[in-house]
Amino acid sequence: MVEEWRFLDTGATDAYYNMALDEAIATARSKGKVPDTIRFFRWKPSAVSIGYFQGMEEEIDMAACRSMGVDYIRRITGGGAVYHDYDGELTYSILVDEANNLVPKDVLRSYDVLCSGLVIGLSLLGIPAEFKPINDIVVVGRKISGNAQTRRMGVVHQHGTILREVDPDVMYTLLKVPSEKIRDKLIKSAKERVTSISGYLGREVGFGELKAALKDGFERALNVRLVEGKTVEYEEELANQLRVKYASREWNFKR
Amino acid sequence: MIKVALTQSDGKIEWLRITGDFFLHPEDLIEEMERVLIGLPVEEGEISDSIEKLVGKRNGTLVGVAPADIARCIMMAGDLGG
Repeated sequence: MVEEWRFLDTGATDAYYNMALDEAIATARSKGKVPDTIRFFRWKPSAVSIGYFQGMEEEIDMAACRSMGVDYIRRITGGGAVYHDYDGELTYSILVDEANNLVPKDVLRSYDVLCSGLVIGLSLLGIPAEFKPINDIVVVGRKISGNAQTRRMGVVHQHGTILREVDPDVMYTLLKVPSEKIRDKLIKSAKERVTSISGYLGREVGFGELKAALKDGFERALNVRLVEGKTVEYEEELANQLRVKYASREWNFKR
Repeated sequence: MIKVALTQSDGKIEWLRITGDFFLHPEDLIEEMERVLIGLPVEEGEISDSIEKLVGKRNGTLVGVAPADIARCIMMAGDLGG
């Protein structure tokens, strides 16, 4: 009997709601109100997220963000700064009971297992993606996806980004760098180290095609059936409350 | 990458902030770690042991970084005159 998980496509919403809904789903899952869930979403407006342990003022050029209409937010997960471009990337999250045997107890092994859905999904598009420990997915040595995980309330919560298109110039305009000379070097290096789906394939892959492939990839990799579902009222109400936290100065500038 | 901001007095940690792109579960253990380190001598072995003991006691997991790495960064911040 193949396990059934809930599949949510919550469209494009702002950074604060995006992170609030992730936490709300994790909480709902921990209370047994919803099944194990995979969610796809995008960021409108585009946003930069920083890892839980990073300093906002150290990492982000907030004046540049404001002038470009880009939000900035602290994630609940560790890791580095990520630029979530509205047009360029898709984000997923997985919220699964820690007791589910599909997910290894060991954090490092569980990254591999959960990322395998993305690896297979990308291979269905003709992209020879590979998992690269600790938490990256690469194509011929170039990064196409970054992932981050936390475990709270008995729930494994992993989210990550898949680059459909990428423009390192924009990313390094939004991040703080020591000098203009170093900015140029970082951009040049990123153009060599990072790739994207459309960039690798040399054709435009739309969000619909990408989401279908990744959904298929997760089903095959985890041997689950993803059933299209909706958020429940509990999640929506909690997400609206948590959105206030994620939009607050107290949260975003806590480090 | 780990970054440490530090002030010290009489060879002891007076205040510090550890930031960076590492992973630590549970995340709010970082605040406790900073509290525990205040008052300790700026001494690499002792700092590393304290971090390791705290993470073990709280059943925490550091990913991509070891207690000794954090200790080394604290020492480097100390050497810079913090």
